[in-house]
Amino acid sequence: MTSSPNRLVAVIFGAVYLLVGLLGFTATAGVGFFDPEGGLLLGIFEVNIFHNIAHLLIGAALLIAGLRNVRAAKTVNTVVGAAYLLLGLIGLFIVDSAANILAINAADNVLHFASAILLLAVGLGAERGTRRGTAAV
Amino acid sequence: MSPITRTWVAFAAVGTGLIHVALVLGSPLPLGIALAVLGLAEFFWGVLTFARDAPPAPRIALAVAVVPLVALGLFTVVAVAGGFTIPSGFLLPLGLATLLEVAAAALLGRALRTSGPAPAPGVGRYLIALFAGAVVVGAITTPALAATTAGANAVPHGEFHFEQTDHGH
Repeated sequence: MTSSPNRLVAVIFGAVYLLVGLLGFTATAGVGFFDPEGGLLLGIFEVNIFHNIAHLLIGAALLIAGLRNVRAAKTVNTVVGAAYLLLGLIGLFIVDSAANILAINAADNVLHFASAILLLAVGLGAERGTRRGTAAV
Repeated sequence: MSPITRTWVAFAAVGTGLIHVALVLGSPLPLGIALAVLGLAEFFWGVLTFARDAPPAPRIALAVAVVPLVALGLFTVVAVAGGFTIPSGFLLPLGLATLLEVAAAALLGRALRTSGPAPAPGVGRYLIALFAGAVVVGAITTPALAATTAGANAVPHGEFHFEQTDHGH
């Protein structure tokens, strides 16, 4: 597993996002599920309950895929990367509005965008040989 | 070309492409069209660069990368000479996009001058380098996007209140 960039990224990001999701609950006492005004994790990253759950789900998906095999890790890295890119862009537009159901702030946007391009670069760019000879992608 | 260098160039291209596209809103039409074409080309070139073994058409890309730098110089000269101000919602993001573009061009130019394949980096070094590159590009691109007219106009504070405040709409 440690020789595969995709599996390594998936496992590391997966574990980190799971941890972030759990820690997020320490910052969201009294914060509503979709509350646009969330709590600050590590004093920087704004989260609400929905955001914490999203982190847990994404973390679990990445971790499980990373522990399985290269193809699973590539797929989940690429899908999560694309989703984070979209979220990073949409996030810019909904900060400070009632549509901000994930309670995203500017620091979240930077992290989402950086995560997105990293996951996409590794998911699409590394270990591309594993696509050959597989039935479906 | 090392996959690390190639991916850093790709990240910068994606970032600058997104900023150029975000600058379309609020620009006069001919400029908007030019920015949209440039931005989309840069974005997709960036994606292809990290998703493939080599950047597509590297010499053309290098030539295109110089265009915004020249344009920024011209804008500034024209504005100063003509005595009119360019809104900071345009100039700041354009400046940051140009910074990314110059960095990408410098890396790409240097890589093109060195011949022969680069040794493949170890997985740990590859991932750490990619992470660092992603954070740097993200930290430049995201505030640049937020500073554009599109970013500022996209949150119309008066219109997004649903039932949270009691102004009788």
